[in-house]
Amino acid sequence: MTATWAWLVLLLPLLGSMTIGLTFRVLPARTAGLIGVTAIVAAFVCGILALIGLQGEPSESRHVASSLWEYASVGGLSIDLGIYVDPLSIFMVLVVTGVSSLIHIYSYSYMKSDQGYHRFFSYLNFFVFSMLVLVLAGNFIMLIVGWALVGFASYALISYWYRRNTATKAGMKAFVINVIGDIGLYLAAILIFKNIGSVDYGTVFEKAPEVFTTNEWEIVAICLCLLVGAFAKSAQMPFHTWLADAMEGPTPVSSLIHAATMVTAGVYLIARCHSLFELAPTAADVSAWVGLVTLLIAGTIAIAVTDLKRIIAYSTMSQIGYMFVGVSIGAYSAGMFHLMTHAFFKALLFMAAGSFISAMANMQDIDRMKGFRKAMPFTAAMMIIGALALSGFPGTSGWFSKDEIIDFAHFRGGMYDWMWVGMLVGAFMTAVYSFRIIFRILPGPPCEEAEYLEEHGHVIHGEPKNPATGELEDTEVGYPGEEHHIAEQAGGMKFAMAVLGVLALIAGVLQIPGLDDVVTKFLEPTFENSVFSHMHPTTSESWIGLGEGALISLAGIATAWLLYIKRPDLPVRFRERFRWIHTLTVNKWYGDEIIDFLIVNPVKAIGRFCNRAFERFVIDGATTGVAGLTRSAGAAVRDMQSGLLRGYAVLMLFGILAIVIYFLIRSI
Amino acid sequence: MSFDAPAMDYAGLSPVIALTTGLVVIVLASVFDSVKRFGPFLALLTFAVTAGCLIWQWSADIDLVSGSLRLDGLAATLSILVVIAAAVSVLLAIGDPSETQAGRSDWLALLTGSVLGMVILAQATSMLTFFVGLELLSIPLYALCGTNLRRRESLESGLKYLIVGSVGSATLLYGLAMIYGASGATGFQAISDGLQAGDGMLSDSLTLVGVGLVAVGLAFKVSIAPFHQWTPDVYQGAPTPVTAFMAVATKAAAFAVFIRFFLVALGPLADQWDVMLAALAALSIVVGNVGALAQTSLKRMLGYSGIAQAGYMLAGIVTATQAGVDALVFYLAAYVAMNVGAFAVVVARERQTGFSDDISTLRGLGREKPLLAWPLTISMLALAGLPPTVGFIGKLYLIEALVDDDWTWLAVMIAIGTMISLGYYLRVVATVWMSPAEESEAAAASIDTAALPPQIAGAQADPFTDSRADRRWYLVAPALIAMAAALFFGVIPQPLVDFAQHAGNALSVWIS
Repeated sequence: MTATWAWLVLLLPLLGSMTIGLTFRVLPARTAGLIGVTAIVAAFVCGILALIGLQGEPSESRHVASSLWEYASVGGLSIDLGIYVDPLSIFMVLVVTGVSSLIHIYSYSYMKSDQGYHRFFSYLNFFVFSMLVLVLAGNFIMLIVGWALVGFASYALISYWYRRNTATKAGMKAFVINVIGDIGLYLAAILIFKNIGSVDYGTVFEKAPEVFTTNEWEIVAICLCLLVGAFAKSAQMPFHTWLADAMEGPTPVSSLIHAATMVTAGVYLIARCHSLFELAPTAADVSAWVGLVTLLIAGTIAIAVTDLKRIIAYSTMSQIGYMFVGVSIGAYSAGMFHLMTHAFFKALLFMAAGSFISAMANMQDIDRMKGFRKAMPFTAAMMIIGALALSGFPGTSGWFSKDEIIDFAHFRGGMYDWMWVGMLVGAFMTAVYSFRIIFRILPGPPCEEAEYLEEHGHVIHGEPKNPATGELEDTEVGYPGEEHHIAEQAGGMKFAMAVLGVLALIAGVLQIPGLDDVVTKFLEPTFENSVFSHMHPTTSESWIGLGEGALISLAGIATAWLLYIKRPDLPVRFRERFRWIHTLTVNKWYGDEIIDFLIVNPVKAIGRFCNRAFERFVIDGATTGVAGLTRSAGAAVRDMQSGLLRGYAVLMLFGILAIVIYFLIRSI
Repeated sequence: MSFDAPAMDYAGLSPVIALTTGLVVIVLASVFDSVKRFGPFLALLTFAVTAGCLIWQWSADIDLVSGSLRLDGLAATLSILVVIAAAVSVLLAIGDPSETQAGRSDWLALLTGSVLGMVILAQATSMLTFFVGLELLSIPLYALCGTNLRRRESLESGLKYLIVGSVGSATLLYGLAMIYGASGATGFQAISDGLQAGDGMLSDSLTLVGVGLVAVGLAFKVSIAPFHQWTPDVYQGAPTPVTAFMAVATKAAAFAVFIRFFLVALGPLADQWDVMLAALAALSIVVGNVGALAQTSLKRMLGYSGIAQAGYMLAGIVTATQAGVDALVFYLAAYVAMNVGAFAVVVARERQTGFSDDISTLRGLGREKPLLAWPLTISMLALAGLPPTVGFIGKLYLIEALVDDDWTWLAVMIAIGTMISLGYYLRVVATVWMSPAEESEAAAASIDTAALPPQIAGAQADPFTDSRADRRWYLVAPALIAMAAALFFGVIPQPLVDFAQHAGNALSVWIS
């Protein structure tokens, strides 16, 4: 029964997407939106039913592999169109469908005036389907399929406003980086098949300890290839540059894909393949260090940039860094738990940000936002809840989840103590940048837009402009519609945010150390063969960790208050005194430029060179020397450019010579 | 007086007989004005009967004409692909300037002649039939490339193909002569036996140079780098229905003989040639994919893409295993579906936009002509190897065969090539879907007035421009069927896997 429900979870979003996609000419927009919402909510319900079915099994047999049909049997490789249902995948299914349901409800109101309403919901449902394929996949090939489909859906949604050049460019960039990740995954699957002879999760994880010895180079190579996939999808260094640009997509997209679900796929991948990573501790350490570096660098950038959505995007990178450290050092349930709470409060923050941005007529610069406290009390409250949870304020969900990871690093000691320190610094920065947002946009005298909203009861109507470049736009399809809506006035948005707000506050009760540990116990069957499954800090150690976390969080909030409320001149003076630090961080540590210099420009140069060598060189060189040939060819072709022929002949001759010489050498 | 027909296996020869009969009928029909217009019908009938004969003889495994031809799984599967491609070209050519200007029956007769050459080539098991088949395939194609008599590029491409093609044929013939000298035999099996029997013949320079020259000749036919330079030019210059035929059918037939000659006749030498073929495959993957990135002409881009795809397929021969042959044949079948879809759309779009195949003419297609936009989109995604299309399974199959035989580095090349290829395939998809309709009109208008070569600018008055091309069944149906096949076999690949294994099984005597 469990498997049937899981198949339904997959089927419903696909049906929703196809129905909306095929009937967009006849269905009224609102109906399409309703279909989209219903499909995802129904999938969530099926996910819960699958959960109930799974929990009914005894814990040692709590995993179901189900196959619809043999997808292909090619040579020695047989691939089933199969899913694998265990606590880990059900956990992800519930997070994905649950948060997606709320974001669909939010979008139903938020996108109301957009001219591409059908298209939006069709894409969004398709994304959820792809993500579910990714988490439910029963073998590495299905995983690759899901991985690729998610990348494609993300591309489509980032470029959703396709007449905006900045949006299409950002979509391309995201797609290209994601494809590099796909290749990593592809290579990993090839190597796994080569060594183990199967791509099926069950077989691979079972046989891996027999086939590989710990830290053998082949298993390390496999894990590093998997990590390339994980880093690219989860925007970890050095594959992180696409995430900030992806904020060109509509806000619900940022909320769903680039905060709550898709970008956490890398974390899921490591947790899923934990038995491989435990055989390759070197690769696991690489992953943990990359996570740590990402979380620190992204934290500094989040303090410096002024674009509201980009601050939250860098914060996402930073929080995913925590999850990477968590699942790489063996704190699996803590990493997954942080994944869940992060989905709640980050989705909430994006939703609140969307509401503010609408009120600002699409301006995203926090330097221009001020005094929204009175104009949008509900949104402001939700923003504060999100920021509290993000900064790990005592009692909120983020407090429990983040500090559990930090704690575990300290518990493992040795090299991991350095990570512990790094993550504490990161936690301090998190609190600072979270409350930087709050203190910059909520208190103080209202800005023009906030005032207008207070006085007239609706948002100011600016000229439609691209917030990034200031170019004028219209409101037809392919650009954002006339206006997007704010939470204060739209029931759907209000509902979605309220639910997430409650979850962000109280979801921590699931995992109170020494009291319930619901998540750990629930995920236990998946990780029971892990060497870390019985290693965890004692209850008192955990509470000491939570105490440290609380202090750091409060210190961070206090620092933010000092910097942005009490002494607003301090940041300015700091910026002037240490201009180079500001320049470095506000330019995102020159990540784009470094990648351009190291990879993009060389590739372009090679492309140009090849183009010249294979075409231009031949064309240019040839036009002069062919008179004889052309004349003999007759009047019809007198001035054809077939001078090329001489070039062709030369290159062919070289080719023939090379091959003949090769064989002559072999025959000696 | 009684007539005694010579004793031979008529059933086994039936595909060749059907094609020859069809060819004669088409030529005769051209004499009578009243039946002339049924030309396409006659050609389609011929191909249908040929396909019927092939299916009738599906499980045959017999030597024909005293061992010069062999009808087996490999020949049957690849001949079917050739015939399908030919039938599609007949449909695409309806109303095409090339077909009209060259004379409809002549055009169709040339096409049928080329198909006959391909079917013979797919069955060839002797160097004589090999060369005869190859020339019978090529010579009508040289002429077909030049059939758009009023376009200079078309004539040019025909001449270019003729000259470079002759160099290729000569190289091949030279190589065959050397192998004959080394082995003293012409039959593929006899060559293998002769080389093994001869003292030290397996590593003799005469043999090996012969192998190299044959490889070059065949590499030329399937457009493997560095013998590929003609491909983009000829693909672009030739009338599009001919390009479609060339791209698909020539590859299928030439790969058939490539497989047979290298795995049967030169099978004992596999250790000598596998590295060379692997190097050629890798080079093609790089050259094809990088070259395609900079193209603005759709047909030219498809030409470069064809070079890369030929590289992928050649990797199937490198393994010299049955799994490799299976994967190659599977990929060829997928390749037919993917390219037919793309070329059918190019033909339709060309006729609407005054014979320009610039990628920018596709702007706004998604909104205005979904019946063209969808097949093109699916074709591009399939060529790029994205799931759930047949291209994904095809690449997976090839990679699996390579990894199984310890050619992991070549599998990695395929993966990297795939990555690069997304750059140009997705550009087409993006152009189709992401740009608004207004700009499309503007682009179409600017093409007519812009300073383009006169033969394109003059196309405004071209009587062959057809504004309703996107609704002609003979253009839309092939595109839609190809799209359906690319998706269907991407989700349920097993029937196509069985098809491919039918080809591989035919060689089970020679390879593991």
